[in-house]
Amino acid sequence: MLKVDGVTCAYGKVMAVRDLTMEVRQGELVTLIGANGAGKTTTLKAISGVLAPVEGRIEFEGEDITGASARTVLEKGIAHCPEGRRIFPYMTVRENLEMGCFLRNDAQAIAKDMEKIFERFPILHERRAQAAGTLSGGEQQMLAISRALMSRPRLILFDEPSLGLAPNLVEQTFDIVEQIRSDGVTVVMVEQNALAALELCDRSYVLESGEVTLSGTGNQLLKNKKVQQAYLGG
Amino acid sequence: MDQLLQHFLNAMILGGTYALLGIGLTLIFGIMRVVNFTHGELYTFGAYMMFMFVMPLQTNFFLALLLAVMLGVALGALIEIMLLKPLRGADIDTTMLIMIGAWIAMQNMEQFVWSGIAKSINNPFPADPLVIGAVSVSWSRVFVFVVACALIAGTYALIQWTKLGKAMRATFQDTETAALMGVRINTVYIATFAIGSGLAAAAGALLGPIFVVYPTMGDMAALKSFAIVILGGLGSVGGATIGGFILAMMEELGAGYISSGYRDAMGFLLIIIILLFRPTGLFAQKERIG
Repeated sequence: MLKVDGVTCAYGKVMAVRDLTMEVRQGELVTLIGANGAGKTTTLKAISGVLAPVEGRIEFEGEDITGASARTVLEKGIAHCPEGRRIFPYMTVRENLEMGCFLRNDAQAIAKDMEKIFERFPILHERRAQAAGTLSGGEQQMLAISRALMSRPRLILFDEPSLGLAPNLVEQTFDIVEQIRSDGVTVVMVEQNALAALELCDRSYVLESGEVTLSGTGNQLLKNKKVQQAYLGG
Repeated sequence: MDQLLQHFLNAMILGGTYALLGIGLTLIFGIMRVVNFTHGELYTFGAYMMFMFVMPLQTNFFLALLLAVMLGVALGALIEIMLLKPLRGADIDTTMLIMIGAWIAMQNMEQFVWSGIAKSINNPFPADPLVIGAVSVSWSRVFVFVVACALIAGTYALIQWTKLGKAMRATFQDTETAALMGVRINTVYIATFAIGSGLAAAAGALLGPIFVVYPTMGDMAALKSFAIVILGGLGSVGGATIGGFILAMMEELGAGYISSGYRDAMGFLLIIIILLFRPTGLFAQKERIG
């Protein structure tokens, strides 16, 4: 479904991702793990069109989307739920969700999707007229995920959805991600919490200083000595 | 008491156009982070368009007003596309210098086309003022107030309820995430600059027939717009609206009770005082629009 082939990204002269190749198949839940600054976020940005790669090719469902604008990538069916939630703090919860379906024109289907989200997260319904900035961290994360879902994506990119959340909320967030996948949406997730990421995923890529150093199924990597030492605390 | 009431009324009427100027400037700064030195020239442009349509071309007064505002919007879009778009990502000093250059060039162009002699514009309103009890106000000023309020309300509605308005607010709050939602950031920038310019042109077109029109009339208007924006808090549309009325009130009262020679100084005195106590402006808890 998604093919990233030899992609290199740089911020000015600083190389952030080097010759990265990965593949995601329809219906999979793939995670990217690695330390801070390993290039995980940059990889997602390259896929979603926030950042144009210097080299390489990105293909989605057979179409070349290398260097395409974020709008075009979204139109093709890839939503990006960015790191740190990035909700619009002065807009209401409802307006944030409306921003999620900015490119859609099917008012009736939008209303239905909004209903579904409010059913799934009653707290968002309760706070729908409230400025999103007044929500708690966990609620903001639910909103950020819901906002990404409002575009009806076929592939969704999650960048550290558990960042800065209390432990019980972290669990809940992973449950939501799992659920989204079982609803038929393909998921790519960047996660610092390697153990959770490996337990949850079908396959995972390990990034180190901008390069893929290991890849495999979650179980394979959980048993891998190097991964255990570097990311799972021995 | 009657005199105070009269000053109050005058301030409300002047404040409406000040608010238009302030909202236009604060939108552009808030969303685009551009310090728009051409704002005063758009005001002058609006006034001259009004002059051109009403006087030599004998167009209907109300139609002329509509045309002047629309041409202001168009000129704003043109400035954005020709000058600002190529400067995306350039540092703020470069953009400021270019905008100062555009300001000087536009002002000289006006002088070249219409000469430095002040022009007056006829208006179709009855000469007898509207008298309410002890206060009176000319019909032409009532018209200015009504149209200014309608434009302010219209701008609010646009920002609050339209898709473009939502895109503008989203861009203001988080440009990168707005782009992720599919917002065309370039289009938002062009629209913002065009709307801000249109509001300045509207202020000029409304006040032109009340005062006289001359090439440097925009300088004081621009200075006052900056004052209003600083007063209200950068990027705050509500702040700019209230700031416009406060500035007008201050000018009216200062001119009426102290000396009319200090009219323009009064507003700036107020700003110095407010900024001493609230350096971010009156309404900026945090910079925002809407």
